[in-house]
Amino acid sequence: MPLLNVNSITTGYADMEVLTDVSIAVNEGEIVSIIGPNGAGKSTLMKAVFGLLHPWQGSITLGDRDISRYSPFEIVAQRMCYVPQVANVFTTLSVEENLELGGFTLEKREIDAAKERVYELFPVLKERRRQKAGTMSGGQRQMVAMGSALMLNPVLLLLDEPSAGLSPKLVDMIFERIVTINATGVAVLMVEQNAQESLRMAHRGYVLANGENRFEGAAKSLLEDPEVGRLYLGG
Amino acid sequence: MSEPGVDRPADRGAGAPSPQHDDTDDLAMAEAPRRGAGKRITALVHSRVGVIVLVVAIFFAMWLLGGAQPVATRQLLTLAVWGVMLGGVLALGSIGLTLIYGVLKFPNFSHGALVAIGAYTAFAVMAVLPEGPRLGPFSFGWEFLAALVVAMPVVGLVALAVDRVIYRRLRNQNAALVLFAMASLGMAFFLRSGIYMIWGPDFHFFYQGRPNPALNLPFNVRVQADQLFILALALALVLLVYLLLTRTRMGKAMRATADNPQLAQVRGIDTERVIAWTWVLSGALAAAGGAMYGLTSQLRPEMGFWLLLPMFAGTIMGGIGSPLGALVGAMIIGIVTQMSAAFLNPAYGPAIAFILMIVMLILRPQGLFGKPGG
Repeated sequence: MPLLNVNSITTGYADMEVLTDVSIAVNEGEIVSIIGPNGAGKSTLMKAVFGLLHPWQGSITLGDRDISRYSPFEIVAQRMCYVPQVANVFTTLSVEENLELGGFTLEKREIDAAKERVYELFPVLKERRRQKAGTMSGGQRQMVAMGSALMLNPVLLLLDEPSAGLSPKLVDMIFERIVTINATGVAVLMVEQNAQESLRMAHRGYVLANGENRFEGAAKSLLEDPEVGRLYLGG
Repeated sequence: MSEPGVDRPADRGAGAPSPQHDDTDDLAMAEAPRRGAGKRITALVHSRVGVIVLVVAIFFAMWLLGGAQPVATRQLLTLAVWGVMLGGVLALGSIGLTLIYGVLKFPNFSHGALVAIGAYTAFAVMAVLPEGPRLGPFSFGWEFLAALVVAMPVVGLVALAVDRVIYRRLRNQNAALVLFAMASLGMAFFLRSGIYMIWGPDFHFFYQGRPNPALNLPFNVRVQADQLFILALALALVLLVYLLLTRTRMGKAMRATADNPQLAQVRGIDTERVIAWTWVLSGALAAAGGAMYGLTSQLRPEMGFWLLLPMFAGTIMGGIGSPLGALVGAMIIGIVTQMSAAFLNPAYGPAIAFILMIVMLILRPQGLFGKPGG
């Protein structure tokens, strides 16, 4: 049984339908990448999974729980964490305070242990723990955002365009960290513009277009599929 | 402190350019030397230090225009100390305003009414308690302290109830922020009418005809013991708010919600709970301010409205959304209001405070401690 199961959901904003009958699944320990052109509804799908938007039809389950109607803070309590694409750090708060808020539901003792875990993954954050997150560079902010989401030791991490706006070198570094995080047993569901690279590190992938499922399968087979390549991988 | 860009984090220029960098003011100052002297002067005038210097200069210019009557240093000092005390009371309201604005993003026009309800609640509690002996040099007895302890949670709950009845419904409907502001204006009238209905239009006093002698402090400063108590309590409460915001989970959650409400939810914070506690805290602080104000002045139903204006002025001067700014801004407003009495009819005190607020809005709309555009 998959860890996360998005079961034919239809949703959107106000009366504008963005997603139609979309289904995806994430198994335990997997990296799943969702790719697709701009406006395909990738970010909307992430928001729906995380309870920032509720499905009009269909359902979303995490483990054996129906989370379709959960609020984000209730979803976080189920240890699914989310890194939004933009505005993903508290700019007026220090790095350390950002991390502590990531572990908002934890006990004091657990917070300290979780902070150490994050600092191990991103040592630069420890050096800069007193710095206001708003004064940091794009790559460091992305580390703060991911670190905050990792504070709860999530079973599933949602990443919305983790490479957006970063230099190629930083993209490689962030992708490398995602693989490291996944190796500790955290399943990852990510949305990426950087389709080739993200499929290379993913186990499985989905192609979304016009708010509908278009292709799905093992990441490798998507990379090799000539039609996917022609339409969505720029090859 | 006058060197431009001195409070810039050391490595800001070194980091990669970040897309959401909104601290344009500091950046402008950093780039100023390359743009010539004119730009540099403009940047200096708009900087925090520049604005403070200007505010002080304007204040003294007005003093000179007012005839520069020879005023005894003694009197000026006394007025300044009174100003700090008025500032302390105003700060309790200003901090509440700034917290509500930070978390909910609307100016709460009914905040003055909460202050007034705090004063009247304290009055009601004192009316039912037996009048005890005076405490030391103060004019009040233990019943005032009891009234303070009762009024704070009561007004906190009133604020919470108003949120549940009005603002939460608006939030659930994703109403425009201007509707929140209008609703709070309506609420101000509603709450004031409640005071009229319960306590009537007459003035009330906590104590009738009690002597309240002034103490002689060093440098011939004359203040009442009550005023020192008010200042000490106001500063203690401000310190508690500071510790709450920086040290406790709920305080950090409040700051996070003010910073980015959606991200706060994403991080597992129940923002509705944060909002509820923000109302309780702001209401309690307003009640303390009202009760303390009542110790030195008469209670009247309109008092909330008259206090709202200088409280807003303090909030705006300090930078709306910044609790430290609210404290500093309220202090400036308090001191200016009182000290202008040295050369002007005291009735004009608030006007001077508002002139300074307007100067601030023209030169540095984000206030002393605010973020540009915020």
